[in-house]
Amino acid sequence: MAERAATYLGDDITAALAVDSTPPSSKLSPGDWAKTNLFSSAANTIVTAIVAVAAGLLAFFALRWIINADFAIIRANLRIFMIGQFPREELWRPWASGYVMILGAGLTAGAMARNSHELALSQELESVKEGWGQLLRRFWPIIAASIFFVSFARTVMPYIGLAAAYVLVVVAREVGWRLPAAIRERALFIGVALFIVAMLVIAGTSRLGGYALGLVAFLWALSELSRVESLPTGFAGTAVRFVVALVVAAIVAIVQNLIPHDGFGWEDWGGLHISLFTTVIGITLGMPFGILLALGRKSNLPVLKTASVIFIEFIRGVPLISLLLFSNLMLPLFLPIDFERPADLTLAIIVVTGFSAAYIAEIVRGGLQAVPKGQTEAAQASGMSAAAVQRFIVLPQALRAVIPAMVGQFIALFKDTSLLSIIGLLEFLRVSDTSNAQQEFVGKGLASVTYLFVAIGYWAFAYTMSKESRRLEAKLGVGHR
Amino acid sequence: MSETQAINTDATQVGGTGKVMIDVVNMDKFFGDFQALKNINMKVGEQEVVVVIGPSGSGKSTLIRCINRLERHDRGSIVVDGVELSDDIKAIQNIRRETGMVFQSFNLFPHLSVLDNITLAPRNVRNIPKAEAEATAMELLERVKIPDQARKFPGQMSGGQQQRVAIARSLAMKPKVILFDEPTSALDPEMIKEVLDTMKDLATEGMTMICVTHEMGFAREVADRVVFMADGEIVEVGTPEHFFTNPQEERTRLFLSQIL
Repeated sequence: MAERAATYLGDDITAALAVDSTPPSSKLSPGDWAKTNLFSSAANTIVTAIVAVAAGLLAFFALRWIINADFAIIRANLRIFMIGQFPREELWRPWASGYVMILGAGLTAGAMARNSHELALSQELESVKEGWGQLLRRFWPIIAASIFFVSFARTVMPYIGLAAAYVLVVVAREVGWRLPAAIRERALFIGVALFIVAMLVIAGTSRLGGYALGLVAFLWALSELSRVESLPTGFAGTAVRFVVALVVAAIVAIVQNLIPHDGFGWEDWGGLHISLFTTVIGITLGMPFGILLALGRKSNLPVLKTASVIFIEFIRGVPLISLLLFSNLMLPLFLPIDFERPADLTLAIIVVTGFSAAYIAEIVRGGLQAVPKGQTEAAQASGMSAAAVQRFIVLPQALRAVIPAMVGQFIALFKDTSLLSIIGLLEFLRVSDTSNAQQEFVGKGLASVTYLFVAIGYWAFAYTMSKESRRLEAKLGVGHR
Repeated sequence: MSETQAINTDATQVGGTGKVMIDVVNMDKFFGDFQALKNINMKVGEQEVVVVIGPSGSGKSTLIRCINRLERHDRGSIVVDGVELSDDIKAIQNIRRETGMVFQSFNLFPHLSVLDNITLAPRNVRNIPKAEAEATAMELLERVKIPDQARKFPGQMSGGQQQRVAIARSLAMKPKVILFDEPTSALDPEMIKEVLDTMKDLATEGMTMICVTHEMGFAREVADRVVFMADGEIVEVGTPEHFFTNPQEERTRLFLSQIL
């Protein structure tokens, strides 16, 4: 009885304290909000009125234009906008490739979300699984754009295909979330391997794919072996690790080559597909290369330093167009005569990778300088080697500090892929020109329609990248500084 | 008034077990044209605690930073546990392995959890398996009395807790010497005690320590010898009692009157 009374008393006190500790409400009614924010002074009222009139006029003209516009040109060319001149009888390839990629992305995203969720819980931080509503908010530009694109389809297939893709990403993410911890830790390797498989499905070439898969297998084996602690330490252990990893990589590459590939390379690729593809390759290859260049530029070895500086400053000093033209028109003149000329897209990818590497190198260098000297000193004082100090202490902090600049570079790279048209590649923007040159549409002045369509495509992806970068920044900021 | 005696500037009389752990001979250090250290001779014995005091700019931090080669000395020799510091990177790393360092600004790695901060060097430098390194780290965190913070990140902790993690981090390498570079100067007054207590525990357990600090109370309790530096030179050496009761040099008196 007495105990209960005490509990009640306790509750009362808690309740009283709770009332006192609520902050005063700062919510305003819509009317008050407008008054304080839009019409607080004469000047503010005038600005509000001018902007309102301008926005109204803009909306009126835009609406009138859209109602009168003829979208037949998009309907007729939707496939070319998406994948260029890809052979019609091989259309299953892009779809299958897309599904493999979505499967990989979903699995990896689910697994990595779960990993960081578990990490947060282990640090006693608040963490809840991200709901579908939040994901919708994160990726709405791409989702909206994909629905917008498909709405121009003339058959029912693309609708079904897109719906299936969204079902797949949902399922894959859930599966990834539920994978056992041991597999989740290796999710990145699964994701990258599936990405390369997707490339193999669409292009079907075996040699390059074999190298790429081999490289992934090599890195995977190396990371597996670094967990094995019974191996001898020092040089012998390192040698064993490398040899075993190389053997694994060779086996993977050979097995991959045994599978028949009736592919045709990437000569026929085009549309939004190559714009995205070159961006992804330019980022994933340009990043490691750029980081090495940045470290090279800070190196004490004069040869390494000079080579890095020359590369970075040369690439940054000339326009991307000139590099593309050089690779396409001039490079073959320097190559041996019996050397098979690489495909245009191959050359373009090499140029784009080198170009982004040079810019990433300068961004990373800025990050390296931002890491306080005390960090290096503390790591050195514990006896770590120079390489280990960079790998475990300096680089992780430097890269974290430059995420915004880095994503800015990625977005610029994505938009720069429109320059690939200069060497004859049928990328996203160029489809706009070619479709306006078609017999049925030429001279009809439909460029504004196709340009708008292309602009929406670019914007959806660029804006999503920018949103994701801000999210990443916020996430990495928590509990770290 | 104090009686006058010859001023003792000889910092080579080792205490502790008598075995010489650190031997600095005729050492000079320049920053450009500025001579930061002038002909330093100093020995530190095993299990000895030496406190270095002096006004700012006197070269006391530079002195201990030379001992683990965060700064390169220009003349003379430094021998740590029988290994001479030279430009040979292997020798430098061998000495750094055996020499822990605790910094004024903690210098914990902000992107790593407390546990990873402590286990990184043992795993990376001494190739100690993860499980074993983490077990040791937990023991050390018990010793500095913050085992419940193991999963946190440095940014989530108070300054005093961070400095205790930094001490645990340097202990994880099982060093023979620990260098303290003004470990309490960046702390709020109420946190100084918890860090000093940890350092006192270490001293009682027989760790060889060189502490650059202004905490004269700490010096009085645990120091075997106090070395007073000014203008890059060793000006006066003695027991803590000597400095409290009978400092001889003019600069020593002036300095002590300012901080006591």
